[in-house]
Amino acid sequence: MTDNKLHNTLTEEEVALARHCLEYALEHGAQGVRITLSKTLMNLIGVLNGEVDKTAHALDRSLQLQLFVDGRFGTFSSNRLEKDGMEEFIREAIDTVRMLEADESRALPAPDRLVKDAVTGRELDLYDDAYDTLTAEQRRDMALGSTAWPQPGLISEEGEYSDSVFDSLTIDSQGLYARHTETSFEIGYESTVEDAQGNHWSSYWWDASPRLKDLQLEGCAQKAFQRAKEQINPQNVKSGKYTLIVDSECAGKLLTPVLNALGGHSLQQKNSFLVDSLNQKVFPDNLTILDAPCTQGDTGCRLFDSEGVATREMPVIEKGVVKTYFLNTYISAKMGLDPTVEDITRAKLLPIGGCKTLEEVLQKVQDGILVTGFNGGNSNPATGNFSYGIEGFLIKGGKKVHPVREILMTGNFLTLWNNLLVTADDARPCQSKLIPTLAFKNVDISA
Amino acid sequence: MILSKSYYFNLFQVDTPLLDRLTEEGLRSGGSYCDLFFENTTYGSLLLRDGAVTSGGNHVDFGVGIRVLAGEKTGYAYSESTAPADMLSCARAAAQIASAPVDVNPYGTRNPSRGEPNPAADRYPIVQPWRGVPMSTFLPFLQKLEADIKRRDARIVKVIVNLAFQVTDVLMYNSSRELKWDTRPMGSVSVSAVFQQGSQTENKSTSRSFRRGADMLSVALIEEMAADVVKGIDERFDARRPKGGQMPVVMGAGASGILLHEAMGHAFEADFNRKGTSIFADKMGRQICPKGIQIIDDGTMQGNRGALNFDDEGIPGQKTYMVEDGVLTSYLHDRISAAHYGVKPTGNGRRESFRYAPIPRMRATYMESGNAKAEDLIASVKKGIYVDEFSNGQVQIGEGDFTFYVKAGYLIENGRLTMPVKDINIIGNGPQALADMQGVADDLAIDPGAWTCGKEQSVPVSCGIPTVLIGHLTVGGE
Repeated sequence: MTDNKLHNTLTEEEVALARHCLEYALEHGAQGVRITLSKTLMNLIGVLNGEVDKTAHALDRSLQLQLFVDGRFGTFSSNRLEKDGMEEFIREAIDTVRMLEADESRALPAPDRLVKDAVTGRELDLYDDAYDTLTAEQRRDMALGSTAWPQPGLISEEGEYSDSVFDSLTIDSQGLYARHTETSFEIGYESTVEDAQGNHWSSYWWDASPRLKDLQLEGCAQKAFQRAKEQINPQNVKSGKYTLIVDSECAGKLLTPVLNALGGHSLQQKNSFLVDSLNQKVFPDNLTILDAPCTQGDTGCRLFDSEGVATREMPVIEKGVVKTYFLNTYISAKMGLDPTVEDITRAKLLPIGGCKTLEEVLQKVQDGILVTGFNGGNSNPATGNFSYGIEGFLIKGGKKVHPVREILMTGNFLTLWNNLLVTADDARPCQSKLIPTLAFKNVDISA
Repeated sequence: MILSKSYYFNLFQVDTPLLDRLTEEGLRSGGSYCDLFFENTTYGSLLLRDGAVTSGGNHVDFGVGIRVLAGEKTGYAYSESTAPADMLSCARAAAQIASAPVDVNPYGTRNPSRGEPNPAADRYPIVQPWRGVPMSTFLPFLQKLEADIKRRDARIVKVIVNLAFQVTDVLMYNSSRELKWDTRPMGSVSVSAVFQQGSQTENKSTSRSFRRGADMLSVALIEEMAADVVKGIDERFDARRPKGGQMPVVMGAGASGILLHEAMGHAFEADFNRKGTSIFADKMGRQICPKGIQIIDDGTMQGNRGALNFDDEGIPGQKTYMVEDGVLTSYLHDRISAAHYGVKPTGNGRRESFRYAPIPRMRATYMESGNAKAEDLIASVKKGIYVDEFSNGQVQIGEGDFTFYVKAGYLIENGRLTMPVKDINIIGNGPQALADMQGVADDLAIDPGAWTCGKEQSVPVSCGIPTVLIGHLTVGGE
């Protein structure tokens, strides 16, 4: 492996190249330029049935240019970062932009919206110095240390330990300088078990953290094995309306289409079931979702969006009222609305109902279906209608009765979220969205 | 497109002695096999939105991936530079998978193919190139397509047309001294349109994707796609959710090939079987569906999105019968799984880019036509559903449970198509669905859409099927 300390973040030479490319583009006809230079270093150890099966080592660099030329706009990128080659690439890129049609809505963000306090890239404390001293042997030990192999009934176990450092710098022709640096450590295991009839049942577990000491290595493979075993001997349920409890491992899937519907690209194209919902109460009183992008040390947080616009904590949905659309400079100009940020950074659903854990939620609702995983499905962005394959457990009297699978939940997101009963307070910090266990009433189940 | 060897050597700044040095470095720690995958991909894109082509760009991705196999274990590293020092460093990183020579080398001398790529056998000859052509050349296509779509339906309020094209040069070399090269084009056009009727809003989309040059941007393609995007919109506005539950499902010819991809194809990928996770792991040679059924994975269809002159391990593209007369006859192999099972690789070793090690992946997966008539299959169903428009699918390999999302279809009542349905998921079990295939029509169609498979890595694929009747699947509904 290479010497981490020397190469794991952007070098002065690479930053100088980015600055040169910006100046070069301005000198050759661009009136506005934004450049994002990024670098990722990744190491991975794969494990199969208790032995190292795969190793991977990677270093990626990329320079992305966004060019504003004569009222026109184009996006270009290359990973060939030699100075001469980049100059030719930029000249050709400017020629290409001139062939496109003009669009008066294209512009860099107003300077007062740009981030000012992302200078070192480490302001959010997302870089763990432990990365710098990790050895190949330590990585191997962490990958193998979690294995549950062998176990009676376990016929296959695949695991992966990986770590990475990501460093990016965004600069523009208005003086933007925005740096973001983070480390990431991740462990994941997938186990397949065989029952007495020869049927196979699989499940997984994973964890991730920006800090090595917070990575939950221990028990990861064992949890995947337990989850797989719990699926043995599923039984049918009748089609009908059920209370649905969705655990915190997979609850984010039900929020993603809602957040997408608040995105400017969908709204501007009228391809959103939340068109004209701004400042309208379309969700229940008990639903509040924040964007919390600036929390120190928190997975996925960033001080700026892809345009370099400063992020800030803000309500997205507050007591059921839509408070924010996600509008970048371009889309906001096209829609005639004030810009916000490109997208949500760290969604956080505020718990309701006083339950702390999944078990407390099960006790509260007593009967229903606990969803522990999704199997396919999709939604219609224009109508909010959805249909997903689900797997989990039938719940009676607050307890798991038997596993269920090969069943479907079908409905509409507005109806679903207006039927939110209660949540736990168990959002997983490793997830990109902080969404706890959710319980909804009256969900259509086909089985 | 297959160019001269010197083009690829110059592009990647290599020669045969350097290639040998790299594979030797990769095997220095005792590995049994080493291969090199050089890639230079140029991407282009144009986006028409709100009546104008106001966004576009070019992107370059360049590098080399070096893989070392020690038995069935994989060491992988890649470099975005082909400077010898960088590549040697990369080879040393990949070599670390081996700590000592393995006892048996299953890769070394297996059917070495030392012939050079044959341009006459090219599966994607390019008439009009994408590269070296000004972007302005392609603008009229997007503008005409949008105009044609809009003139067909006054309810259209928004249209987005996206053209994406890429050309990938690859050079492959391995420790058996096999050398292969290829240049792979891919052009994709996608359209989405939003319709408003009173207070109702609906969207429709369509796509076409081929391993062809810019000559694919024809007047005929404009007419075909424009017709496709407005087809069935009246039914879409009228469509309802059916009452859910288990019922017979007639899957229309073409895009229903997603059934084969999800319900069977993944489970036939040999890595899942080698690891014992697939539900088909012990079913080789067994009858898994009714007699008369052939299921194929094919890399040989000229211009098809899944076509390959060579896979990403340098194995020639080929046509693989996975099921013959209802019997499972072949998995889909890369070099590792082929060595494990003692068979020849099937040309299914594929990767998203030089950043990934190859694994078994599908190409164009389809079922051959049967003898029934589509209308007879529909007429045989008392109460069920007909589906022919899909978005995405998924499978759980161990259990065999698969799903796919239906954008449009119809109820079947007493043998006739009646109420339009939309936005429902269908779920079933692969082996059960295969065994429950009650009729296969004579109307095989290969879907021309931009299907992408996302098993660990994204690769372009294609699918097709004749109209088929499956006795029981679970349909989502109210």
